[in-house]
Amino acid sequence: MIDRHDVMRMARLARLELSEEEIDQYQEDLMRFLRSGQKLQQVDVAEVEGTSHAVHVAHELRPDQVGTSLRQEAVLSLGPRVEQGFFRVPRIVEGQE
Amino acid sequence: MSKVSKGVLGMANYDTVIGLEIHVALLTDSKFLCSCSTAFGAPPNSQCCPVCLGLPGSLPTINEKAVECATKAGLALNCQINLFSKFDRKNYFYPDLPKAYQITQDAYPLCSRGFLDYYVDDQLVRTEITRIHMEEEAGKLIHSGSSIVSSDYSLVDYNRAGIALIEIVTAPDIHHPGQARLFVEQLRLLLSYIGVSDTKMEEGSLRVDANISLKPKDSDLLGTKVEIKNLNSFRALEKALEYEVSRQGEILDQGGTIRQESRTWDDRAGRTMSMRSKGDAPDYRLFPEPDLPPLCLEPAWVESIRASIPELPLERLGRLEEQFGLSRYEATFFVHYPDFCQIFFDLAEYDLSPKAIVNFLMGDYARLARERGHLDARRIAGLLTIVKEGLIGANQEGVVLDALFSSEKSAREIVKEQGLEALRDSTELQGVVDGVLTANPDLVARFRSGESKLLGYFVGQVMRATRGKADPEVVNKLLEEALS
Amino acid sequence: MKELIQSLDVREVSAQEIVQHHLEEIAQHDPGIHAFITVDQEGALRQADDADRRRAQGQALSPFDGIPIAVKDNISTKGLRTTCGSRMLEDYVPLFDATVISRLRRAGLVLVGKTNLDEFAMGSSTEYSAFGVTHNPHDHSRVPGGSSGGSAAAVAAGEVPWSLGTDTGGSIRQPASFCGVVGLKPTYGWVSRYGVVALAPSLDQVGPMAKRVEDAAALFALIAGNDPRDATSAKAPSFQVPAWDPEVLRDLRVGVPEEFFSAGLDSQVEHAVRGCLRQLEDQGAVLQPLSLATNAYAIDTYLTLVTAEASSCLARYDGVRYGKRVEAEDSNTMFAKSRSAGFGSEVKRRIMLGTYVLSANHYEAYYEQAQKVRTLIKEDVLDALSQVDVIITPTTPTAAFQIGAKRDPLEMYLSDLFTAMANLSGIPALSVPCGLNSHGLPMGIQIMGGNFSEALLFQVGYMIEQGVEGSARHGQL
Ligand SMILES: [Zn+2]
Repeated sequence: MIDRHDVMRMARLARLELSEEEIDQYQEDLMRFLRSGQKLQQVDVAEVEGTSHAVHVAHELRPDQVGTSLRQEAVLSLGPRVEQGFFRVPRIVEGQE
Repeated sequence: MSKVSKGVLGMANYDTVIGLEIHVALLTDSKFLCSCSTAFGAPPNSQCCPVCLGLPGSLPTINEKAVECATKAGLALNCQINLFSKFDRKNYFYPDLPKAYQITQDAYPLCSRGFLDYYVDDQLVRTEITRIHMEEEAGKLIHSGSSIVSSDYSLVDYNRAGIALIEIVTAPDIHHPGQARLFVEQLRLLLSYIGVSDTKMEEGSLRVDANISLKPKDSDLLGTKVEIKNLNSFRALEKALEYEVSRQGEILDQGGTIRQESRTWDDRAGRTMSMRSKGDAPDYRLFPEPDLPPLCLEPAWVESIRASIPELPLERLGRLEEQFGLSRYEATFFVHYPDFCQIFFDLAEYDLSPKAIVNFLMGDYARLARERGHLDARRIAGLLTIVKEGLIGANQEGVVLDALFSSEKSAREIVKEQGLEALRDSTELQGVVDGVLTANPDLVARFRSGESKLLGYFVGQVMRATRGKADPEVVNKLLEEALS
Repeated sequence: MKELIQSLDVREVSAQEIVQHHLEEIAQHDPGIHAFITVDQEGALRQADDADRRRAQGQALSPFDGIPIAVKDNISTKGLRTTCGSRMLEDYVPLFDATVISRLRRAGLVLVGKTNLDEFAMGSSTEYSAFGVTHNPHDHSRVPGGSSGGSAAAVAAGEVPWSLGTDTGGSIRQPASFCGVVGLKPTYGWVSRYGVVALAPSLDQVGPMAKRVEDAAALFALIAGNDPRDATSAKAPSFQVPAWDPEVLRDLRVGVPEEFFSAGLDSQVEHAVRGCLRQLEDQGAVLQPLSLATNAYAIDTYLTLVTAEASSCLARYDGVRYGKRVEAEDSNTMFAKSRSAGFGSEVKRRIMLGTYVLSANHYEAYYEQAQKVRTLIKEDVLDALSQVDVIITPTTPTAAFQIGAKRDPLEMYLSDLFTAMANLSGIPALSVPCGLNSHGLPMGIQIMGGNFSEALLFQVGYMIEQGVEGSARHGQL
């Protein structure tokens, strides 16, 4: 069972601002999705290792050599709000998830 | 390790339990996950690329040197090196975190189950290291106001984002704030010995988070843990923990309960402050990083790293005390100043007494060397040898030392050129003594009538006449004979 | 394509003319199809000009120097905006090329534009693009499939000879099937993902789309290979286009999983696929019925993993460094407002699902469980492939559906029913057209094989293609 509170908590975690209708909609979607996913819960996976990578590859490490970075102007050209070489963000409020 | 004991007691009614999480920036030329430079002090956002800016489609690749440094730290801290380790994503939003997740190691860290032994008040104690894992650094925030809370806006520089870090996590094994400080000091020293970090706290290369709780004395019940974030000096670490010991103690004394929370240290106000006031506990939604395969290390590679680890501070302390007979104070000096220690070891190769070397290195030399850089051990040995041989008097040592710093000449050459050889030839000195006594008939009379302290004056005059080169022993003897 | 290359080679036509021709095709067809988000007319002609100059000096970069191509708009192209079909990246112009783009440029291919897709590749119909719906060239009232719908439609409509798509659960093969073109989901790791905007990094692959199997193979040869910038990139050698020899079918063991021919499969699709199978058998292949029972879990497993990974991959769009930003008093509100304004409803839905399955109290039951079931699926597939050389199934249960027909997201998710298994297990899968249904709509057949068996898949696909074309000619007579 998923209530509106759960949906709002997920939205806060994911930094999404949802309308009342969206909350209703996603509550329903989540419930249906989880119900359909019920059959996964029944699969016996005792002793089974999870797969997080499709194909096993040996991890090739990168040598510690400095390469070229982007030019500062190029980096800042992407920014919606920049100031004196920095990206600017509004007030940072601590104490949220 | 029979000397190891388990710490020292804290406050009166409560036992203090402290665990530390230490973030250490690794000494690599390029970042952890991309090849941007790690150099400090560049213009903002000038050492960034698609990867460390988290541009869409960019992918991380692991810096080999970072793995090497982390492994080295693990081995030096007696950890088990896990040949199989994994990377995970820790998801949270923050303006300094480019991808809105941090690449870290959660379930399978690189190192686990180690320890560090160190002295607390002459007692060797052990703090367990639970784990060491690798992760990436975040960017740097500059606040428009005096603090984050009072700022209308902040500016972000991603030059630092993606630099390789290790997080060293201790067991809650530490029993008072002073011990926490000693632990971090020893840890920092060890890390600098193995060369994996510049450990500059003022530049943020070493940062400490501390967990602290109090429990009634001899109780098995653990208290509620409070986390103090981002302590970036030894002083801040010790003061913040002391503050928490008394804050929590007072609350408990009054029958209150401690809130589990994160706090921050306000250095100016001298107190800790709560960081989270609203919202739920953080939910980082950790899961395996799909962009990075697991890290599988070869045992032979780990052994080659082990072989590269130099003598560590505690071993060195023991060796200085046992092999060379240094006092704890002296040995500690050399352990803390590896450059002096190296010179000590070099000088010990010569036929010189450790005591003489130590006195020399910890004396005027220390000050001069800090100002002007070290002298070649061979040249110091030359000086100490002629002192030992008595070629020059103690008074001349300083003159020769100065000259060693300002020229390339050897001590012997300097002595010869400046004619500083000690005068101990009795016949030669007899003339000088006679001259001094003849020139001061009334003082000789006063001496003879009992003013024995005038002997010093005569010695001084002889020394002056010989420009300090006269052997004081011989001078004394001649004066006593002449005045008797 | 062979003809194009030959005429370029003998300088019968110039790259300019070829590119100009395709730009005219785009101008003519795209208003009705809307396969493109961005057409770079100027840049394409400039690149064609460069190609002609190189060819004139005998310095052609490859046989394909000057041949046009279109690329799905979730692949980063330096200097050419890359929107991912999202308002979030409406004005985002990458500072770097994806590795696959560098490889195409190195071969002299002319990038004519960026094709439409479901927003951030989340969808199976290209209806979820912020830049409008793409129409199926065979029937404009129908979807082209998705999420690489633009890349499939552009090839099908003759706007470009070939294109690149991306495939996370079927996003190349399903639109290839709907549009009657060839599409390959390569072995995970054989094509670099560097610069490809992530949907689910453990499943995503870039692959070729073309009218003919030979062309798809040639394009795959251009893009496949190890990339040190992608740590999940395989250490496989480069891909060599195989010889097209019918002998390949002799004694070829073809696995036919019964689960893919059960209820829900359109009878015309079944008929077409079975027809192809019979032809293969006639040419010496040995059909072997087998079971891939774990496919019953494929969609749920796939959805759990894809939404989880996507929720994390899409977190970076926070309005700080690039992309859409809606100003607010504090950073958290700015993040939320920017993301809510930038993302469409399907993206938000998947972020919500993914956040849920990764959250502290649900991780074990959902995400971790799905990872373990993924292991079972992978073992099931690899076990089957130890008994047969290839596995053949329909690519999709039905031909292209009507635009607007699938309003229910869960129903839409079922589009990947036959394709997600290859992504979950990492193996390559090729979709080849296998005829038209009674509405004149294309249908597709899927050939799966072991890791790095692309050459074999192309060879088998080529034989199917020959057979289907032969039957079509025969039918016309
Ligand atoms: Zn970088």
